[in-house]
Amino acid sequence: MAGKSGRTLSITQESSWKKAVFSWEGILILLFIAVNILCICISPNYNLKNVLREMPKYLTEVFLLLPMAYLLLLGEIDISVGASVCLSATMACMACNAGLPFPLVLLVGLAVGTLCGAVNGFILTRFTELPPMIVTLGTQIVFRGIAEITLGSGGSISLTNTKQFHAMAGKIGPVPYMFFVVILAAAIYMVVLGKTTFGRRVYAIGSNSLASYYAGIHVQKIRFFVFTLAGFMAGVSAIFLTSVLYGANTTTGNGFEMDAIAMAVFGGISTAGGKGKLLGAIISAFTIICLRIGLGQINMNPQVILVILGALLVLAVLLPNLAKKARSMGIMAKAA
Amino acid sequence: MKRKLFCVLLCAAMVSSLLAGCGGGGGSSSAAPATPASSASGDGGSAAPATDGGSGGKTYAIVTKAAGNPFNEKVAEGFQKVIEEQGGTCIVRHPEAATADAQVSVIQSLISQGVNSICIAANDENALQAALEEARDEGINICCVDSKVNKDSRQTFVNQAGVNEIGQCLMEAVYDISGGEGDWAILSATSQATNQNAWIEAMKTAMQDEKYSKLNLVEVAYGDDEPQKSTDQTQALLSKYPDLKVICAPTTVGINAAAKVLQDNQSPVKLTGLGLPSEMAEYIGDDDAHSCPYMYLWNPVDLGRLGAYTSVALVDGTITGATGDKFSAGDMGDYEVVAADDGGTEIILGAPFKFDPANINDWKDVY
Repeated sequence: MAGKSGRTLSITQESSWKKAVFSWEGILILLFIAVNILCICISPNYNLKNVLREMPKYLTEVFLLLPMAYLLLLGEIDISVGASVCLSATMACMACNAGLPFPLVLLVGLAVGTLCGAVNGFILTRFTELPPMIVTLGTQIVFRGIAEITLGSGGSISLTNTKQFHAMAGKIGPVPYMFFVVILAAAIYMVVLGKTTFGRRVYAIGSNSLASYYAGIHVQKIRFFVFTLAGFMAGVSAIFLTSVLYGANTTTGNGFEMDAIAMAVFGGISTAGGKGKLLGAIISAFTIICLRIGLGQINMNPQVILVILGALLVLAVLLPNLAKKARSMGIMAKAA
Repeated sequence: MKRKLFCVLLCAAMVSSLLAGCGGGGGSSSAAPATPASSASGDGGSAAPATDGGSGGKTYAIVTKAAGNPFNEKVAEGFQKVIEEQGGTCIVRHPEAATADAQVSVIQSLISQGVNSICIAANDENALQAALEEARDEGINICCVDSKVNKDSRQTFVNQAGVNEIGQCLMEAVYDISGGEGDWAILSATSQATNQNAWIEAMKTAMQDEKYSKLNLVEVAYGDDEPQKSTDQTQALLSKYPDLKVICAPTTVGINAAAKVLQDNQSPVKLTGLGLPSEMAEYIGDDDAHSCPYMYLWNPVDLGRLGAYTSVALVDGTITGATGDKFSAGDMGDYEVVAADDGGTEIILGAPFKFDPANINDWKDVY
């Protein structure tokens, strides 16, 4: 567990306040606070009520972030989840319009998503030499293609009965149900990753998959499970997105996978696997959501917002490298 | 620890530069967020009819389909001009992408700002319903321009021209240019664009007429309103149907791409449809060197202006969006709200305008 996974070991070491503040998660919390102060300063309408009201649309992406973090920790990636959302939403809408009872509609959405994930998992565990980026790029096109064929020439489907989905988008006070579901899901994912053998195995495989295999971990079983999990969460995301959009079309879920990857990387999860914490990814997700809402409220040009988010992301991956370089230069200076 | 400290410092620098950047950029838009705050507290969630009919202190928003859509930008320009003349505050919002999802975020953001009205060119007819109903609950008036939302999501729709008038007009143009017989094809935008599909349906209905019986519609191709894809689709049409006589492109992006392909190839195939004069000027002409004899469009600036007058009338209570409501649109004259085919209501700008070699030079600098 040395080397790449050094970070996991450090959790068990003494925890002083300095450590908490100076960890990547600590920095992210500061950044989160800074972003909120910034938004309050620039927008007179940036308050808890409005932020919670604007949040559901963005929260649908957080569902994808959770399994994406697991995948990145494994050293894998899945860029088909956005298309899985599209296909699941399409099928759920069709099931709803066909008059199926509501629980069954939800089940259809979840099942389609899970099936999409299982297809990815099956291909990637059966043919382990294939790169996940390319395979999921292929399945992305296939899933979206199936959705487009199903949607037909109109390219969109809308619910004929919106009642139950409308109820799903309801709120307790100012807090949408979806917010609670996201928090609950995030908590479960964090506990599983941090406190169970399964979580430790994920880190182990991400650090060194071959060593993990020789250590007796069922590497392929875990990979299959996590890919399927990503599909399942795409189904969850699709159901909640349907409650916001009352339907689906060929552009549903476009770019969700990239947003999820960006949030995870910004949260300190390495795309090489084995490094990073889910907590960071979740804080970074809310930081990005708050920044988007705040900048949106001052009617900033969306392209400028995208540039800012992109620059932040590049900086986030650059920072640790820059710091490392600065330190090694410091050591060299001392030696000389 | 030094490394982490460095991280924190850099982070702080990042945030402060962001603050500075926003401070600088916010200068131009600082007027926008300030006004909604004052008006939001004033209207208390319901649009109280103003007795003087003025729109001072009110905030009117327009949401386009996407940034970089030249037609929508002209609509927004006309909208903004009227609102500012009336003394209101105008917010122009472009969604992040040409999708309904992105427009939902924009609508939510406008609700937060407490605007008085939203005028939207929709990317999907039904997908905005939940967001727009929420806006209605907050007392925000909703109308749409260019591309409509369903009747439950809007108060009224500012229609550029009656769907049937456009279908009839384009069909007549195809008939005239082809000489009354032969193969022709349609090059549309995306397969789910509400307005394109309605016009194509209207053309198909018009084609039932005995007069057009010798015309043969071979294909409806979709260029997704992307120049490159539209170019590819035009080339595909040319190679698939050697006897093709006319292409009709009821989209500004499609007609522009097709015009270039046909003119560059010196193709005998002729083109008509709906296009922007500034983009199409070099292709419009009666001789063989030009690919497009004439085309149609309405004036997007006027469309935006009518959208603005409609928003103002909705906010000050002159109209509610019910059939038979009448209002005055400044120097554009008086308009009436009429029933639309989908069961909702609409306001029709007028018949499409014909651009031919005689008038194109006057219009190409306008829009």
